[in-house]
Formats: sequence, structure tokens, C-alpha cells
Amino acid sequence: MTRNVFSRWTTIKDMFKYFAGEKRYFFIPLLIVLVFAGIIFAMTQGGLAYVAPFLYTLF
Amino acid sequence: MAAILGISALYHDSAAALIVDGELKCAMQEERFSRLKNDQRMPLQAIANCLKFAGLKAGDLSKIVYYENPYAKFDRVISGLTQHPLKTLKSAPRILASQLGSKIWVLDEIARSLNVPRSIISHSNHHRSHAASAFYCSPFGEAAVLTIDGVGEFESTTLSLGNENGIKQLESISFPHSLGLFYAAITAFLGFPVNEGEYKVMGLAAYGAPRFEHEMNQIIQTTSDGLFCIAPDFFNIHGESSLGYSSKLTALLGPPRKPGLKWNIDNPDDKRFADIAASAQKKFEHAVIALAKRLKSLTSSENLCLAGGGALNVVANARIEQESGFSSVFVQPAAGDAGGALGAAILGAEEHGGFKRQREFSAALGLPLDIDSGVALARDLGLRVTLCEDISVISAKRLAAGGTLCLAQGRFEWGPRALGQRSIIANPQQLAMKERLNNVIKKRDSFRPFAPAVLEHQFQHWFNGEANQLTKFMSTVRSCKQAETIPSALNTDGSGRVQSVSQESAPHFHAMLQAFFQVTNIPVLINTSLNGNLEPICADYVDILNFYLRQGVDDLIMGDYLIEKNKGKIS
Repeated sequence: MTRNVFSRWTTIKDMFKYFAGEKRYFFIPLLIVLVFAGIIFAMTQGGLAYVAPFLYTLF
Repeated sequence: MAAILGISALYHDSAAALIVDGELKCAMQEERFSRLKNDQRMPLQAIANCLKFAGLKAGDLSKIVYYENPYAKFDRVISGLTQHPLKTLKSAPRILASQLGSKIWVLDEIARSLNVPRSIISHSNHHRSHAASAFYCSPFGEAAVLTIDGVGEFESTTLSLGNENGIKQLESISFPHSLGLFYAAITAFLGFPVNEGEYKVMGLAAYGAPRFEHEMNQIIQTTSDGLFCIAPDFFNIHGESSLGYSSKLTALLGPPRKPGLKWNIDNPDDKRFADIAASAQKKFEHAVIALAKRLKSLTSSENLCLAGGGALNVVANARIEQESGFSSVFVQPAAGDAGGALGAAILGAEEHGGFKRQREFSAALGLPLDIDSGVALARDLGLRVTLCEDISVISAKRLAAGGTLCLAQGRFEWGPRALGQRSIIANPQQLAMKERLNNVIKKRDSFRPFAPAVLEHQFQHWFNGEANQLTKFMSTVRSCKQAETIPSALNTDGSGRVQSVSQESAPHFHAMLQAFFQVTNIPVLINTSLNGNLEPICADYVDILNFYLRQGVDDLIMGDYLIEKNKGKIS
């Protein structure tokens, strides 16, 4: 479990580093919401129903 | 010990490649194990078999390199969605679920699946992986490198220079301006599956006339400086690499072809589709030749390496070879996305002590054939199994008499071409053989051509030009000088996707060709992949026996064993 959390944290860190490196700061609030939705999606093992409200609200 | 694993996955044709202490040990596509053509899932079976072949465990790996940047890819997708919110409204939840549910977490998934620390996993860049797979596997110390694909992270096309300092990207063209996108849309328009049917478009083009040139010029504009741009309105671009055409393309070219219908080239409707294929192929060739000429002027190199899905277009490769001004051209055999795994592993090795380049690259990078187990299973299945002292001579006599053979020897091939390790072999002298192979054995469209394989030292007597790096891996087409002698191995125009076979590249197949030459005075055989329609090429003895029992091939050669369905006398 600790290993998985560390692994996810590494990906989130790398992703923010990438978007910051590309100077796409305006994406960061959107990314936070989407990553949160992604974590829920992953934790519920593909439960699209839990994530869909986030996405439909955004788009 | 430094063991570097390269992985490509999650889009199409996933694969794994393993380099140990700088030496390429093996490279395999997941489809060969899962038996799902172009399987895109995480290549866990390919990884397990790479490790098993090298006698390693996942814990022994020093580094794992994924072939592209998942964050940049996510960036492109999300940029597409935010730029076109109304157009992508319907597809956005599906695309985001796919990205957020799995694709951006791919490096975590690799760590979890292999139970290795996340810290040893990194990523490369899509086109850099393609470029590395071509340049470092080529025999060139210095070369121009052209990659042509649907889309990577943002780029669809890159122009680079490779030398002792590595690969330096000089220019790139970004999505949606993409020759891969164009060809994929035409593939879908003609009713073929995208990422699978592109080579059918190329084969169909030989039956058509390029009378839609004006229309193609509206879709792609090439400029005098060798670059190109597409008109995005003709395509259905959904933010992700979802490839398709829009209603505007239908208005331009007429109604599209329904998928799955049987082809009849004599029918006026199908002739129109063949003409569209010919026009698209001609436009594609024009664009890639212009790119190659531009790269030649940028680098002044004598050598060219090609990779990316576009490099699997052998007709375009032939024109590049003749018209771009380069003296030598090399195409990595798995030029499509599977090849990205090899490039990623090489780039990892370059950062970890260096990659040892081979003098002669071989595509036999899969698992070796377990002949003993195959023979035991064949006997259990009631097949007649005979150990032959000179299997090549027996094979040649049977082929000369009109028989067909499954040939299974050594390690299976890397990439989409069967090169004599997992092949169906036949006599090219009778035109009827083409019908038999297409309709009875491979059960596929009747317009699909077959490839000739020729003894390397006889190449110039039978085909134009010389045998080279392209003919070794069936990566080009050449005109035949004696087309009337081998009609079933050639296209309608007398050309063929020829393979030059040497003792070094495929020893058993070479011996068979040599024996056939002695019997018939013809050093050419048909070589087509050992698979049925829409199936991956056979890998192990179970796949091979399964295919042999299902299909109408006469005999099966496994090592020095002749395996037969009927109890005929060996002659």
C-alpha cells in the first residue's frame, strides 16, 4: 500500500513538473480536479459512474 | 550487470525489448503470446518471456524505459479537448476516463505489475524512441533519421541526425498535420480497420488509377521546401489519437465503403475505391519523398534511417530509395509502435554504459522453437512425423511439385514480416498459387499480393538493383526481370516486396531456396507469414500445429522434421 502511494505520488509530482516546465500554469487547477477524479477512478477500479459527474460538470 | 527493459503499450501493438550489458537479447510483441492481433495491452507476457529467455527476474532489471511521455500525451489530449469543447463534448468523458483511469498512471502500473521499485522506471519520447530503434540498429555510424507516424506526444513527423554523439532532432511537424492521420483516415474510408488495414490500402492501390489527385491535393498541401500540412476539416479529430474522417471527406470523395464486404475489383464501385487508394498512396509517396529530400539537404548525409508506421509503406520506401538522393536506406523491421520498445531500451542502455551495435541486425529476436515438444505434440495428434537427413531437398521437391509448406525454424521474427522463421512457403511459378494461398489457406481478400524470397547471390539476375538492407527485411519493392516465370509472387505491375535471403540471415530457408534452385533452376519462392486472416503470426509450436491442422497447407517443417497430415510416401 505504502509502495503504491509512493508510486502515485511520484507520477503526480512528475506530471506537475512537466506542466510547470512547459509553463502551462493555467492547466494546474484543472489538473488538480482531474487528478482527484483519476485517483477516485483508480481506487474504485474503473468506476466511471463515480467520476462522470466531475467530467460532465467540466465539459 | 545492467539489464534494461523497453516497453511500448496502451495504443496499439505493444511490445517489450531487453538489453543486457549493452547487448540486445530479445524483442517480442505481446500479440504473439496473447494471440490478439496488434494487442495494445500492457505486454506482460512479452516481458515475462524476455526475462525468461535471458534467465533473469524482474528484480534483476536495472532500468525500465517506457517508449513515450505519458504527461505530454495527456497535455496534447487535454489541449485538444479545451480548444474544441463543443466538438469533443460527447467523447470527452471516454477520453478522459481512459487517460485518467490508466494512461497517465502507466509507469505506476509497470512498477506494480512487475513488483519493482518505481524509481527504476522512466520514459522516453515517442519519436525519439522510433528514431533510436532505426539509427542504432542500422549499420551506419552517421545517418539522417526520418520518423513518420500518426502522432506521438505532439509530433507526427521528425527529421533528425544520428552520429557518435547520439540523435539530434533538427525539425518536426506537429499533430494534426500528419501523414499517418491522412493514411489512417483513407484506410477507414475504404472500410479497413485503422492501424491494421493500412497495408491493404497499399496493396489495393496497385489495382487503381490515381484519378483523385486533385481531391488529394485539397486534403494535403505539400510546399516547395519539402514540408506539408493537412486540412483538418476532412478529419475527425477528437483530442486523442482517434483517427477518422469527417463528412467533408465524404462530400469530396463520395460515399465510403462499408466494412466487411467482399472485394471485386471489376465492380465499378470497388474500382472507384481502388482509384482512391491509388490516389492516396501517390500523395503519401510524394509527401515522404519531399521530406526525405529536405532531410538530405539539412544533413548532407549519405545514409537514411526510417521508422514510424509510415516506414512500413514499402512502395514509398522504394521511391525514397530511388529518388531522395541517399546512397543507403535502412528501415527497422518493427518500424511501427512495437519498435518503440526497442528504441526505448536502446536509449536506456545508452545512458547506462552504452548500447553495443550489431554488425548485422537480425529480426530473429523472439523465443526459439521448442522442436522436441512440437514433435511430441504432433505425434500425440496423430500426425505423421519423419526425421529427415536432408529436409531441404525433400521440401524443394514437394514445392516443385506444387505443394505448400509451413516453415518453422529458430527464433520467431520481430515485426510484421515473416522472414523464414515462421513462414508459409510455396512455388511461385503458377498464377493459381496466389488464388490458392489467398482463398484457401489465408482466407483473405483476393487482391492481396505475396512476397518473393530470392537467394541473395541470385538477386541481380531476377530483380532490379542490388540486394541491400531494405531487401533483407522485405522493406521495399523491386521490379522483377523474369516476371513471367514467377507470376504468383508478384504484383500486377511485375514488382514484388522481395526478400534477399543469405546463409546468415535465415540458414534453413536459405538451404531450402538453394535446393529449390537446384531442382527447378528458379532461386525464388513465395514467402508469406504463418498466420490466418486477422491473426498474429504463429510463435510457439502450439500455434504452429493449431494453424497447420486448421488450414489447407500440405506439410509442416519443424527443424529437421517433416510433419504430414496424410500418410503419403516421402519422396
